[in-house]
Amino acid sequence: MTQTIARPDRLTSRPRIVRPRSSTQPVGRAASIPFLAPAVIFVGVLLVYPFLASVWSSLFDDNGFTQRFVGLDNFGKLVADPILARSLLNTLMWVVGTLVLPVVLGLAIAVASNSLSRRWGAFVRGAIVLPYAISGSATAALWHFLLESHGAVNQVLNTVGLGGLTTSWLLNWPQNTLSMIVASTWQATGFSVILFLVGLQSIPRDTVEAASIDGAGGWRMFASIIFPQLRPVTVVVVGMALVNSLKSFDIIWVLTQGGPARTSETLALTMYRETFLLFHVGYGSAVAVLLTVIVIAAAWLYLRTQLPRVR
Amino acid sequence: MTTRRSVLGAGLALSGTALATAGCGVGSVTPPGTVSIYTDNPGWNASLQAGGAVLRRRTGVGLTPQELPSTTSFQQVIKASLRTRKTPDLIKWWSGYRLEDLARTGGATDLTDIWSAAEKNGWVRPTLRPAFTSGGRIYGLPMNLAFWVVFYNPKMFAKHGVGVPKTWAELEAAAALFASRKITPFFGTTAGRWPAFIWFQEIVSKLDPDFYERLMSGRARYTDPTAVRAMRLWKSLLDRKWFTPLDTSDSDAASLLKQEKLAMLPFGTFINTNFAKNGMKPGVDVQAFVLPTVDPQTPRSVIFEASALMLPRKAPRREAALRLMRQWLAPEAQTAFTYGLQDGSPDPLVKPPNPLVAGLLEQTRNVRLLNRFWESSPPALVESAVDDLGSFLLDPSSYPTVLQNLQDKADAEWAVWRNDS
Repeated sequence: MTQTIARPDRLTSRPRIVRPRSSTQPVGRAASIPFLAPAVIFVGVLLVYPFLASVWSSLFDDNGFTQRFVGLDNFGKLVADPILARSLLNTLMWVVGTLVLPVVLGLAIAVASNSLSRRWGAFVRGAIVLPYAISGSATAALWHFLLESHGAVNQVLNTVGLGGLTTSWLLNWPQNTLSMIVASTWQATGFSVILFLVGLQSIPRDTVEAASIDGAGGWRMFASIIFPQLRPVTVVVVGMALVNSLKSFDIIWVLTQGGPARTSETLALTMYRETFLLFHVGYGSAVAVLLTVIVIAAAWLYLRTQLPRVR
Repeated sequence: MTTRRSVLGAGLALSGTALATAGCGVGSVTPPGTVSIYTDNPGWNASLQAGGAVLRRRTGVGLTPQELPSTTSFQQVIKASLRTRKTPDLIKWWSGYRLEDLARTGGATDLTDIWSAAEKNGWVRPTLRPAFTSGGRIYGLPMNLAFWVVFYNPKMFAKHGVGVPKTWAELEAAAALFASRKITPFFGTTAGRWPAFIWFQEIVSKLDPDFYERLMSGRARYTDPTAVRAMRLWKSLLDRKWFTPLDTSDSDAASLLKQEKLAMLPFGTFINTNFAKNGMKPGVDVQAFVLPTVDPQTPRSVIFEASALMLPRKAPRREAALRLMRQWLAPEAQTAFTYGLQDGSPDPLVKPPNPLVAGLLEQTRNVRLLNRFWESSPPALVESAVDDLGSFLLDPSSYPTVLQNLQDKADAEWAVWRNDS
């Protein structure tokens, strides 16, 4: 055990400077305003103002040319719309699907590839991460080729004698929504892998070595030592996945446009359809307000329960 | 360390709540001495350039095509721009109610004088006039004249000893024979949403063309007996599995026709470009016939589609655009444009660009022209209707509910439409 030697001479020689408190605080507070202003303006202009504009727009019957004030009629119509239930259910499926699949797969792939040799690990990570660089629309175009009734998936199934498993993947609910979640997972998993790898590589080596000395290995090592230390990264990954899933749009738009017959429509699709296809601008804004409220509430609840309180 | 990481995490998560909106600008550089025309179809650029070259010689004004990324964003951008000073000079739009939708906002230019002069010269079919009229005035000039007909592979028909169906009974007999030989009789799809209406418009118009027009203009109901009969007839075809999978695209269908896996493909003649891409020569590898009426004594009709050349009231180069439009329907300009499209022309003086179109002009002589479903009712109604028709295609037994839903929407949208007039 190392002995710590006190140095009383240094402590006594350090002068204690007393500052006049009454003149410090006002100056400090006022001085911070110029530094905060750009951030506040940025958020106000790009986030708060558009949201308030949407709320205002949702109070009107607006066809893109003329407006008529109708109060909360648009929200009343929204609640009465039978498609809203399907839209919400599909959105919920997307939330659950994109929380479970990309996050869990991302974690598994990150842990597995992290333990591989340098060369093989890099190859595996590249194969998984590369799709993340592809846009949602490009992903959808590729998966359309795979999933349509005459597409590659059905052709392969027929070729290997599993013709009984072929189906019209994009035509019937819930297969169409589930198929698109799989396509989205293929594209989005790379993001989780990257973040988890960063987390894994920031775990102090000595904690792993200590556990190893104590005989922990494999699953026990992961469950008790590694995963708890990934908590900060996990919070971010799940949070991002939660928010992004609520806004899923481009993959759905290219693959099914929310169809056929609106069976695979999500809230984002409903908003787009009402505003830009039917030019029910007020109603579309009401959907946008609902979507925004859901997103903010979900993000806030999640962060509130996940982030440790700072004392 | 913990505090800093937590704050960073919170920031990243909260920033994800931003709902970004991507805007499309209409601004672009138009060469001097030309006017810009905005379209939603890049396949038209070559034809517009060919027509533009002729128009430059005749008027001193050239034509510069500009395309916007997709049909939906195209509509959004055009509608928004009409309220500003940043409109295009010319717009390729739809005819019928979609043109009227823009015209009655005051955003379009009255072109009645130009149309009257063209009609006097014999440069435009008078029967097309109603499709470009709003409130008794003309607000668009026709750009093309596509017919909605049934395409088939004449070699395959000959191989199987099948002649062109002249009656509905012959049509069903041909379909049954092809089905028995593992060839899909008909193309049907919901890919892209809008095609769900194709068979509906065809069957209704071949049952009763008068009823079709009344239904489209809100003077008949989707729950009327003729509409019910149309759905039952459509259902009987679907129940026999005579259609392609619902996610087959029209370009795939053209390939299937060539591969002799599909017998009959109902579509507009603008699909000719897809046939060309498959190396199919019109008149040789692909031919077309007008769908026969369901009852022999019913008057014959054919669905047409014509895009509208529209001039925004606030067009930046308005006078130059007007000079160009006065010559738009001149036979020389229309010939250059039409031959690029390989489609029909609204100018009866223009020779057909290929044997297929020539044959159709012959078949449709003295046949009643009906505007396409997409253009024949208020836009919000047809946009909703294609989803309802899509749900019928998923479950044909749902037709009573589908028709009731269609009528409910029709009641709502016609009320809005008439109130806005």
